[in-house]
Amino acid sequence: MAKDKIINVTLKVWRQKNAESKGHFETYDAKDVNVNMSFLEMLDVVNEDLILAGKSPIAFDHDCREGICGTCGAMVNGYAHGPDKAVTLCQVHMRSFKNGETIVIEPFRAKAFPVIKDLAVDRRSMDRIIAKGGYISVKTGNAPDAHATPVQKKASDLAMDAAACVGCGACVAACPNASASLFVGAKVSHMGLLPQGQPERKQRVQNMVWQMDSEGFGNCSNAYQCEAACPKEISVDNIARMNRDINRCGN
Amino acid sequence: MKLSSIRKKQIVAVSGLAMVGFLLAHLSGNLLLFKGPEAYNAYADFLHSLGPILWVLRLGLIGAVLLHIIFTVLIVKENRQARKDRYAVVQDHRNERSLAVKLMPYTGFVILAYIIIHLLDFTFADKTTIINGVDYGLYGLVITTLRNPLHAAAYIIAMFSIGFHLSHAFQSVVQTFGLSSEKSRPKLMLASLVFGLGVALAYSSIPLYVVATFR
Ligand code: HEM
Ligand code: FES
Repeated sequence: MAKDKIINVTLKVWRQKNAESKGHFETYDAKDVNVNMSFLEMLDVVNEDLILAGKSPIAFDHDCREGICGTCGAMVNGYAHGPDKAVTLCQVHMRSFKNGETIVIEPFRAKAFPVIKDLAVDRRSMDRIIAKGGYISVKTGNAPDAHATPVQKKASDLAMDAAACVGCGACVAACPNASASLFVGAKVSHMGLLPQGQPERKQRVQNMVWQMDSEGFGNCSNAYQCEAACPKEISVDNIARMNRDINRCGN
Repeated sequence: MKLSSIRKKQIVAVSGLAMVGFLLAHLSGNLLLFKGPEAYNAYADFLHSLGPILWVLRLGLIGAVLLHIIFTVLIVKENRQARKDRYAVVQDHRNERSLAVKLMPYTGFVILAYIIIHLLDFTFADKTTIINGVDYGLYGLVITTLRNPLHAAAYIIAMFSIGFHLSHAFQSVVQTFGLSSEKSRPKLMLASLVFGLGVALAYSSIPLYVVATFR
């Protein structure tokens, strides 16, 4: 069997003890990195060395490590979720980097995403937006028949596209204004496109947008960085839809 | 009354569009310069003969400028606050130059400075321009002002700032009102660029013509 390619990289990692402390970059050498490792596995190996040396390991968010939960994320060389297109950070592999490369790793930065420690950020601001309208109110009981409520194919497709949002916050991280418009647009669209979402459609968009504004996210300047950074390739059409929905319902 | 971030953007968009309307009307009027002093001065006289209507238009324009400035300053301030801690490294995720959007506050500022200079040059100036015993009026004032190459260059820079501003703004307005789609967006972006460049070139033709013709 052919031998796996091995590279050495230098990491410049943002280290910050807690939300209150200032934070700074530290440089680490990651030696003998198998290019088939995932980016997070590479960090695991660096962390093992740090622990053995009696130092505090680099804190970073992760959970499923298969690109579906939306927990992971950091700015890698200036890109949210690293340089690869349409993947979460856990799906980036070391083959995307060159031997001898210096990799700069920073947390997602936004006022609404305070740093907890190192690369781990507090994204509960997004949960609070969801709590304002990311649901539909239905009578509980037996599951209705699948064909009880007809849904147009087009609406169903678009709703599924919007529902692909895993709420990772890359849109906020990549936005020059740290706006959450793509996230909120996706959530508003996901339910607003379906018949089940109609009764609460107006109050949903109003309440979610107001919550977004009050969390300290920036305003949308239509720079479309969010769409390009999104690991699920959520379209800014969802922002357009949110903008239209706001026009139907007041402020 | 509470205004959502989206509403604030819409105020910026509508006031911007009002200014674009003015910009096109102003351009068509000023291109009469190429027809000579009679046509140009007649157009100016026609505008002044509108009396109260002219003042309604002027007040509308002043209102649009003020609203645009107030709300963009507010928005930009909020945007800066939304990311106080800057990235050490940040890349353009779209991998194409989106410089126009980054420079909106700066091109906007150049435009504001230009508006002030422009009003001092022509609106608040004495409009009798006697050359060899003949009064060329406003036409003469424009020629004598823009004949200075530095003055002309400043005007051209300002026109390209407006063009650059509009190259982002035009398509941005459509998205702000939720009227663009994945299909139309690339075309709108191109149309926006062409529009911005077109406005810049059309306006720049005036100082260029004056410098080239009346040395
Ligand atoms: C007077 C000085 C001006 C300043 C300070 C200014 C500033 C700005 C800024 C900062 C934005 C971007 C707001 C954002 O981040 O979304 C903007 C957008 C815009 N500006 Fe201006 N601007 C000025 C003059 C003008 C003029 C003269 C025009 C038209 C002829 C214009 C048309 C627009 C339009 C159409 C938009 C886009 C609105 C949208 O995104 O929907 N602006 N302006
Ligand atoms: S860890 Fe779940 S998406 Fe990356």
